[in-house]
Amino acid sequence: MSSDEHKLLTSLHVQYIQNLGASKADLTYHLTAHLRMNAIYWGLVALCVMNHKDALDKDEMIEYIMTCWDEEAGGFGAHPGHDAHIHSTLSAIQVLTIHDALDRVDIPRVTDYILSLQQPSGVFAGDSFGEVDTRFLYIAVNALSLLGQLDRLDKDKTVTYIRQCKNFDGGFGNVAGAESHAGQVFVCTAALAILDRLDVVDIPTLGWWLAERQLPSGGLNGRPEKLEDVCYSFWVLSSMSILNKLTWIDSEKLTKFILSAQDPEGGGIADRPGDMVDVFHTIFGVAGLSLTGYPGLDDIDPVYCMPASVIEKKGLRKGWKALPRRTA
Amino acid sequence: MSANDPSDTILFAERPEWADLTPVSQYENIQPLAPIFYKPEYKDATDYFRGVVKIGEMSPRVLALTETIIRLNPAHYSAWQYRYQTLLATNSSLSAELELTNELTKAYIKTYQVWHHRRLLLTKLNDPVPELAFIEDALTLDAKNYHTWSYRQWLLAHYDRAEMWAGELPFVERLLEEDVRNNSAWHHRFFVVFERGAEAGEDIVKRELAFAKEKIALAPNNNSAWNYLRGVLDHSHVPYASQTAFVKLYVSASAPQTGTDEVVDLENPLPAQGAELPCAAAIEFLADIYEAEGKAGLSRAVPLWKSLGDEHDTIRKKYWEYRIREATAAAQTS
Repeated sequence: MSSDEHKLLTSLHVQYIQNLGASKADLTYHLTAHLRMNAIYWGLVALCVMNHKDALDKDEMIEYIMTCWDEEAGGFGAHPGHDAHIHSTLSAIQVLTIHDALDRVDIPRVTDYILSLQQPSGVFAGDSFGEVDTRFLYIAVNALSLLGQLDRLDKDKTVTYIRQCKNFDGGFGNVAGAESHAGQVFVCTAALAILDRLDVVDIPTLGWWLAERQLPSGGLNGRPEKLEDVCYSFWVLSSMSILNKLTWIDSEKLTKFILSAQDPEGGGIADRPGDMVDVFHTIFGVAGLSLTGYPGLDDIDPVYCMPASVIEKKGLRKGWKALPRRTA
Repeated sequence: MSANDPSDTILFAERPEWADLTPVSQYENIQPLAPIFYKPEYKDATDYFRGVVKIGEMSPRVLALTETIIRLNPAHYSAWQYRYQTLLATNSSLSAELELTNELTKAYIKTYQVWHHRRLLLTKLNDPVPELAFIEDALTLDAKNYHTWSYRQWLLAHYDRAEMWAGELPFVERLLEEDVRNNSAWHHRFFVVFERGAEAGEDIVKRELAFAKEKIALAPNNNSAWNYLRGVLDHSHVPYASQTAFVKLYVSASAPQTGTDEVVDLENPLPAQGAELPCAAAIEFLADIYEAEGKAGLSRAVPLWKSLGDEHDTIRKKYWEYRIREATAAAQTS
């Protein structure tokens, strides 16, 4: 292990994100048009957490987002000309919120669009194609909350569906009956946090199931007997932070694992040491480090996966607990 | 090679039968923030796709076009969506589409879209029974694929046919025979046994406890099996203490192991030869049993938790210290 792997290579990661437009090699593999909006959000939040919010041009970003507005549907697509999708709609709202530009959004229309995607069972579809998943439920709750429109949501119906996704091991799946998975645990837990319904969670059992994700390498997996992956540093950690159980994992070992997945030449973080980096794993690695108190980083709100200061300013902060920020 | 395989690479721009259509380029008057650099075949196909969408054409040639796009980028959800709408608009054979989707499913098994497309087709075709064999086949490629398992659960619940449920336990057993640590299979077993709606009777609970313990005996350091055991006990409100004799067999490094000439005790199967003991999950289980006894059990639970934090599960040392603190505090106030 080189000495590089013992610290976060912040300036390299900032450059990596800035160069996402210029570098051809990683981009074609990892980004496609349907992820563009999400990629911008991931990049921006990573920059915010690393205290380099201004590394990407704010006005350019806002103008680009507005070109993704789907006037027919009343939501945002991933890319100009793409149909609206709930995921890109949330990413757009999140970016505009961070840049204090929510006034650019037709809030009543977007609210209508989001609410139109709720199914009779309480789950949300991602778009008119009809794929349903608790991810989309969380996305809807998050977006409506940021827009200040949560009271238009049938909260009981929404919580009822989440409850149906709870499994015997305390975890949650993507639909009722599906296996517990850390990503789905995050979205269900965070949605419940926003709705002030954490009473639905069996906290001791789920907290333990989450702690069980840590492997001898220090990395976290998404379900029993699967490989560790840096992105679970966020899904698992944020869930534990929301449940106030972050002290249950070995954060030192996890930190070492995340840092060892950095690319010491080009910047960026990969899913595990030695693999190719991408912006998705970069944000979630950095966010995980922030939650464990890594020095020099800014606070991230685990419920919204956005800068904590932004969420606090909107009066949306919930009772989650991160580890104290270390000074060195 | 099928006619729509992109490696045949006759660009749509070069095909005479597409000459009437005006392609629409991705970046019209827009300077993108993080421009996507595409292969020429992909740019060509998506330019024609945008052209088709612009005029709302839904014809057989659109099926060829969307297939090309999907093979280049299986996550292109608009292409899938438009393809499905075109299938319906052109009255195309959905069973032929399912055939094609079988190939696409196996090729792009990790994408959400291909499984959702399957769901849509099934909802129209309503012939779910052959799907079970297809899913089992798909699992040979990726035994823990989340979409695949979720799809199977959807299929069973949506159609709710007795003859479909009937084969599930043997199916799960086949998967666990392949890999006793397949958490998806364990989850599926719980779903099949306990989440069908009807309450599981006493003999079913007994059977499931025996099953879990048999598998634990085979490979004790398997969190899925222990979680399953706990899940069955929790669901049927059977106290953990009922399993004390069994659990104790796994808590000592020098526990007896199965020989070939011994009678197997179904209630308390011995660890298999060569099993790594003691088993952390068993120590934890035993500590939970003692903790449930209240103040009296504390003096036996604490050393177990300590042994986990110090020796058998050191990475979760802070969790085990938390358990000691909590239990001690609770004992003092009671």
